[in-house]
Amino acid sequence: MALIRRCVPLFAKVVRIHPVTTQAQKIHRWVAPTLMELKRREKKVGGKKINPRNTFLEWNLEAELYAFAQRLNEDFDSDLLLQAFTDRSYVIKEEMKQKELEFDIKMKDNRELVEIGDQFINAYIQNYLEVVLPKFPMEGVKGVRKFLTSEAILANVSLHLGTKDIILAAEYPVDNFILANTFKAIVGALLDSSGEERAAHFVRDFVITQLQGQDVNEYLPIEDPWSMLTSIVKKDGTTIEPRLIGETGRNTLLACYRVGLYVDKKMVSSGFGESVAIAKEMAAREALKKIFGTEDTMKPINFKLDGIPKPTSQTRYQITAS
Amino acid sequence: MSAKHMFLKPGFVRAPLQNGIGRYVCQLQRIVLKFCKSNGASRGMRDFIEQDLVDFAKVNPGVVVYLKPRRHRGPVVVAEYLNGDRVWMSVHNKTHAEITKWIEVLRTQQGNNASTRLRKYQYTDHPSIQGPWTPFTHKLPELNTAELPNPAFGANNRLPMSATEQLRLMFEAQKLGEKSDDLKTAE
Repeated sequence: MALIRRCVPLFAKVVRIHPVTTQAQKIHRWVAPTLMELKRREKKVGGKKINPRNTFLEWNLEAELYAFAQRLNEDFDSDLLLQAFTDRSYVIKEEMKQKELEFDIKMKDNRELVEIGDQFINAYIQNYLEVVLPKFPMEGVKGVRKFLTSEAILANVSLHLGTKDIILAAEYPVDNFILANTFKAIVGALLDSSGEERAAHFVRDFVITQLQGQDVNEYLPIEDPWSMLTSIVKKDGTTIEPRLIGETGRNTLLACYRVGLYVDKKMVSSGFGESVAIAKEMAAREALKKIFGTEDTMKPINFKLDGIPKPTSQTRYQITAS
Repeated sequence: MSAKHMFLKPGFVRAPLQNGIGRYVCQLQRIVLKFCKSNGASRGMRDFIEQDLVDFAKVNPGVVVYLKPRRHRGPVVVAEYLNGDRVWMSVHNKTHAEITKWIEVLRTQQGNNASTRLRKYQYTDHPSIQGPWTPFTHKLPELNTAELPNPAFGANNRLPMSATEQLRLMFEAQKLGEKSDDLKTAE
């Protein structure tokens, strides 16, 4: 017995010296069952219920609208702003209620303002992009504009300006379509109450700045860069010559070729790829970026242009139907 | 990160909606101050409301302030942010100065920062500004015209120094040391 007692610390030491090391993150055994139980209880009650913010006791629509304008540093006509926040679905719901109670109060919805705002946003963004990206083809400018005026982007902007709780709609939480429409209506209301320049600066500061950190070239789909490049270069009266300037690992999985494009024996661009054709295509893309002034090292897009910029008629590269 | 942080909302260090590139928007949209008119725990809150609240509302017109007096309940501050976050904070027995500071914290943060688990302490949309590496990326220009194979470019300089080489260097250093003995000043 004494022998065993003496040996126990030795065994313990052996065990301590060789711990079982695991790389996996230690998540306690109770975490998953707890989360499952919480979810089960939530389901039993009938899902998470979100109460509309405007049914709370501490809610004052007038104060909210005032603060909304102050937050954005804009002067809105208060009636127009309320109209901009009134969705069609809310008006229909209210009219049904009024029919039941047999009285009639006319309400205005924001459909007109949405239309005005939508037109203004599209026209202004088009002008702005044409000025900021002077050499970029019109197809690309259109692509960027479509991205900026897409429902997802406008809804995100609208949500982060705090419209979600103020919007008068039949449903809560409101969907992206209503959020985007409300943003357009707000621009329409601003256009009516403070003039074109304030509305333009509003769109610039909240919508166009979403281009920050984006690659503009992604919005110009180019199917065949090589033929586009040759057609552009042909107009200038020069020819472009591709040359293989590097290759490693031929006939292996990791083959790498490098192709340079030369005009008058001067290198314009270079590209690499796992085959010569891909490398040539990449080089052509690189050259096109240089021509369009949107290379990776381009200066950041100017987000500080004042007023409504007028695009000067410049020789913009036209893309032939390729 | 330990297991108790698993329930926190994960997030990155980001400014909401490119805030500040166009114009700055205060992210606190409304604040609700709940307090009791007679209970001692709300003393600091009542002082804050009497002395500082009007100034606060004047300086921050973009924040909607609601006051909610309730009998015999503890004082609470609820802040709501533009990104939908809601911060509930008990200010039970807190003094006027403490409440002023906490409300300043709530005003200047951009969401429920305290209960966000930062996945990283930095964030970038562009992890590389140089583009992908290729075998040609840092190639010596001399290699373009070199005749290969060439011992100058073909030498393997990646192996560690051999023992023989180390001994040779030590020996030569010793010889140098013997020669320069005359130059050394004797102590």
